[in-house]
Amino acid sequence: MANGKVLTGLGIGLAATLAFSGCSGAADDGTVTLQMVESLTNPARTELLETLIDEFEQENPGIEVELVSPPTDQADQKIQQMLQSGTGVDVLEVRDLTVGPFSTNGWLADMGPEFEGWKGWDALTDNAKNVATAGGKTYFIPYGFYGISLFYRTDLVEEAGFDGAPVSWEDLLEQASAIQDPEANTYGYAFRGGTNGYSNAALVIEAYVADDLDLENAYRLKNGDSMFSAPEALDAMELYIDLFEQASPPSSVAWGYPEMVEGFSNGSTAFLLQDPEVIAAVEQSTAITADQWTTAPMLVGPSGTAIQPLATAGWGIAEASEHRAESAKLIQFLSEGDASIRFTEGNSLVPILNGADEAEFYKTGAWESYLTMNEQPETYITAVQPRGVAWWTEWADKADAELQQVLIGQLTTEELLASWDAYWTEKWAAE
Amino acid sequence: MTTVEERPPTRAGAPAPATPAPAPRRRRAFTTRRGLVVAAFMLPAAIFVGVFIYYPMLAGSQMAFRHWNLSNLTDTSWIGLQNFATIFADPAFGVILGNSVLWVVASIVPQLVIGFALALWLRRKFRFRGLYQALIFFPWAISGFLIGILFRWMFNGEFGVVNDLLMKTGVIDQGIPWLAQPDTAMFAVIIANIWYGVTFFAIMILAALQSVPDELFEAAALDGAGKVRTLFKITIPYISTTLALTVLLRVIWIFNFPDIIWAMTGGGPANQTHIITTWMITFTQKGDYGVASALGLIVVGLLLVFSAFYLMALRGKKEVSS
Repeated sequence: MANGKVLTGLGIGLAATLAFSGCSGAADDGTVTLQMVESLTNPARTELLETLIDEFEQENPGIEVELVSPPTDQADQKIQQMLQSGTGVDVLEVRDLTVGPFSTNGWLADMGPEFEGWKGWDALTDNAKNVATAGGKTYFIPYGFYGISLFYRTDLVEEAGFDGAPVSWEDLLEQASAIQDPEANTYGYAFRGGTNGYSNAALVIEAYVADDLDLENAYRLKNGDSMFSAPEALDAMELYIDLFEQASPPSSVAWGYPEMVEGFSNGSTAFLLQDPEVIAAVEQSTAITADQWTTAPMLVGPSGTAIQPLATAGWGIAEASEHRAESAKLIQFLSEGDASIRFTEGNSLVPILNGADEAEFYKTGAWESYLTMNEQPETYITAVQPRGVAWWTEWADKADAELQQVLIGQLTTEELLASWDAYWTEKWAAE
Repeated sequence: MTTVEERPPTRAGAPAPATPAPAPRRRRAFTTRRGLVVAAFMLPAAIFVGVFIYYPMLAGSQMAFRHWNLSNLTDTSWIGLQNFATIFADPAFGVILGNSVLWVVASIVPQLVIGFALALWLRRKFRFRGLYQALIFFPWAISGFLIGILFRWMFNGEFGVVNDLLMKTGVIDQGIPWLAQPDTAMFAVIIANIWYGVTFFAIMILAALQSVPDELFEAAALDGAGKVRTLFKITIPYISTTLALTVLLRVIWIFNFPDIIWAMTGGGPANQTHIITTWMITFTQKGDYGVASALGLIVVGLLLVFSAFYLMALRGKKEVSS
């Protein structure tokens, strides 16, 4: 009996030891195990990340990395839970959407001391440096940028009698309306009315108020008012609603990312505004061939300029991590040289390294439009949307629901803009 | 085995019927020692339930009375009923409550009827019955969220199979944007839920039907009872307890089942297909766990009230019938 109790006790002790050994820490031989969590997970990306981690481990024999890859739609919540518990994560993927709440709650380490004197700084583009040192603290180093371009069907544009891709939002409405033919199951524009539908509405408004926009806060005008209060915003929204009513699939009121990409990939819609990651998805389409589509630069507003919102994500260190030096080493490895280039190319991202966009990869096919935009910064102006504010998710939810109300006729565009203006004015006043 | 004879209810003050008093049952003394032994056996389970069910429930409940927003957890002060006030003041709440009731009622009635019919059919002996059973029960093995995604594509207005079938059969001459209009979107999510939930009723009712002795049906046939009469006088009364509990369980589950709606419409268009639990998800996504917890308590309250009334009504019905 006594032996049984001893064995039970040993068993529980062993199980507990095994369970806790999964947590990050230093082994007896001095090896440090880092827990790394990614957010925008997909199988190909995880595989690439694992390859890079293997190379890092070979270069740094005393450090092992365990990569945690939750499904994308649950990843940020999972990361929040891990950070809130205060253990179990060293390196994490920080998005421009999550850096605000994570840092406000004290979950992110300011990596300034660890990156002091890092030789990789000089290789970063100005945009990457600005993001990495926003607010005077280094909460994350971006791994790349998401930039919008117009995916379009070259054959349908030509058949409709146009000699090139639309340049402005008005051109888009004209061309998409001409192509729209529901009876032939051909639609003009892959409208985004579902999740994150507000983001494209913000794009058209930004293009219309581009001359007066505060580039450090692309929801604000230079005079301090919200962009939704500008008279041009109403013109922009009316055009955008026309685009839905005259040149988009009726059911796109509920379309989110998958439906939009599917609509373009399966040949149903002629135009699509999306990030470059879609290039790879459309290339795999069997419904349209490579010579039937390409991309064009962002659409300009009446002043001839467009706003390119800078969306990004990167790698940061948890405040509770006990291995900051080793974590910084890993982030530095991923943010410089060959590893960074492979990661940005593998995930169709705009690179963070100076000169990396001059690689052949970015000069051909659908990537050409990005090169054009980079070469004409006065026309395609980069601006920072206030995506880091703590209430961004609340805003997205409200804006999506109200945009849908306009699309189904429950709200007017004037009421929509008044509501959005009041929301941001109130939030900024309370800051 | 002890048989319990149910006695008809008597009016207060009426003389008791002259039936012999039942023999007193022998009860084993419940000593302190025996109680301690029982408690010791139950303790691990009680600790498990306490730690994994009641503690999170209580911890979650207190969040409903605090400012608990992930965007700023440095302030988790006590705010009383403010989270509840936020919910009741929201104009969407009335619509969402109505949707929740519609979602449950419009889903459960067809699920019960179709599930019952399937169970009756599967009870019969015929060739490949096992295969049919497996095929019919298969959907229950799939996640609700996956079913939602499947139906979202099926109900897609432009390239969905539903419109394609309806157009090819001449029922409609142009595609319907099912998920883009409030009424059709609600209809579509309910259809998906009916399809998904029928199998649960079929499983439960089939299990209950297999406990009905064949002699009862034979006796009913000898007495000249037709199929309808046999169904209502023999089958349904015999399995009524299972039916009642299955309905109760399903009401609770369907009320708390956001998966299909979330995957198909995300509560849209313009919040018009939200039920309380999908609405709750939007608050958790915004990081507002305070309001989400308050909504959770509202759901618990509503379901407790429903369960109490439902069980009381069943008890009353049973007493009347006995």
